[in-house]
Amino acid sequence: MSYEKENLISCSRFEELLTDYLDKALGSTRQKGVASHALSCPLCHSLLNEVKASLVVCREIAEPRMSVTSLEARILAKTMPEAAMKCEEFEDLLTDYLDGFLPAQIFHRWERHAVLCDDCTDLPGAVVRSLAACVTYKLDELPLPSRLHKRILQETIGTAKAKLMKASRASQFGEWIRGFSFPISVPQFAPVALMMVFAFLMFSQTVSADGSLAGVYTKSYELAEQTYKQGSDAWSGTPAEKQQTQDPVTGTTFVDQQDGIKR
Amino acid sequence: MEALKAAIEINGVELVRRARAGDGSAWEDIVSAFSRRIFNLAYRFTSSVEGAEDLTQEVFIRIYRTLDQYDSKQGDLANWLMRLARNLIIDDYRHRQRNPQNTMADTVDDHQYHLRAVGMSAHKEMERREIAAQVQEGIDKLPSDLKTCVILRDIEEMTYKEIVEVLRIPEGTVKSRINRGRIELAKILRRMRVVTI
Repeated sequence: MSYEKENLISCSRFEELLTDYLDKALGSTRQKGVASHALSCPLCHSLLNEVKASLVVCREIAEPRMSVTSLEARILAKTMPEAAMKCEEFEDLLTDYLDGFLPAQIFHRWERHAVLCDDCTDLPGAVVRSLAACVTYKLDELPLPSRLHKRILQETIGTAKAKLMKASRASQFGEWIRGFSFPISVPQFAPVALMMVFAFLMFSQTVSADGSLAGVYTKSYELAEQTYKQGSDAWSGTPAEKQQTQDPVTGTTFVDQQDGIKR
Repeated sequence: MEALKAAIEINGVELVRRARAGDGSAWEDIVSAFSRRIFNLAYRFTSSVEGAEDLTQEVFIRIYRTLDQYDSKQGDLANWLMRLARNLIIDDYRHRQRNPQNTMADTVDDHQYHLRAVGMSAHKEMERREIAAQVQEGIDKLPSDLKTCVILRDIEEMTYKEIVEVLRIPEGTVKSRINRGRIELAKILRRMRVVTI
């Protein structure tokens, strides 16, 4: 009871101690006394809340409005004017900035310019909103005019009733053959390939007895053997044997494999 | 329509083979699958429904005549066909820029936009159509080289490399034109109050 009497304070005393109470500058006993009064007296409780709210507002007002980026930009603009970005450069780098491709150093210079330059401040936002408008525009597709479909069919295949137009057997067969055509990856090689095939055919038909590749090899071997024999005879001084005249072997010449007689 | 597109992706070679042989229904399937897309692309460049119709027809005539050149090894039918269409439409646009008297473009206001998604409120739909019309107007005000790059990149969503192949200009030039085109378009739309601060 004596404790309560000692700490009992009047409303006027509460007002006197209010600032010290909020600053926590009172002793613990007095602090508790002020708190008890605030809890028991509705008017003083309301006053306490009003003062607290006012202090919050005052603190907010007292804080600097300028953001750190803006302050930093202003300081750097004054101290290092050579690092400032020009408007043309700022615009050139805008898409790279939006795409996130700017290196850190340029990125910071770009942002500082965006903060400081009144002409450029709103440009990135305007470009983003413009891109959003382009999306709206893209989604707003026009319907195909009803007559266009028929016009295209009429101009290309000569009739708007395309379903009635069937492919002929011959053209179907042509397309089927085309599907199996020999693919030459480099078209420039086509004449060369044709010339090689032609040369092989000519060679095989004039040299080979039967037109085959084996015939070409066999005949080449015979000719080489004959040439060697003639060379060795000339070197050793042996008179050359009377050679049977070797008529060229053509595709129309039949060589008897048994006795080598041409017929 | 989506099912038809999927079928064409699978059977592109077969469709072309049949169309080449003279099968009308195969050619009609190809026309049905791609005409709307090509017509809309043509409209982006001509800003005229009649002009886009004529251009779409010309594109399909050229496609029909060059069906023999289609090679499935160089990509599917959609890629080949759209690449051809883009080239022809851009060539036509460049030609009209060099010869302004041949221009087929009329005013955007003449165009009647269609009502599409069911369930979308009338107000939203009107607002969207208005934005689309204003964007078309804004794009038309761009210089021709910037307009081409903006349409190919931001409307057709082509990659830088694809644009390089179509326009046959260096990649650096493509990038700088896209960047400049976006900025100019944003400034135009801001002046038109399509995009607000």
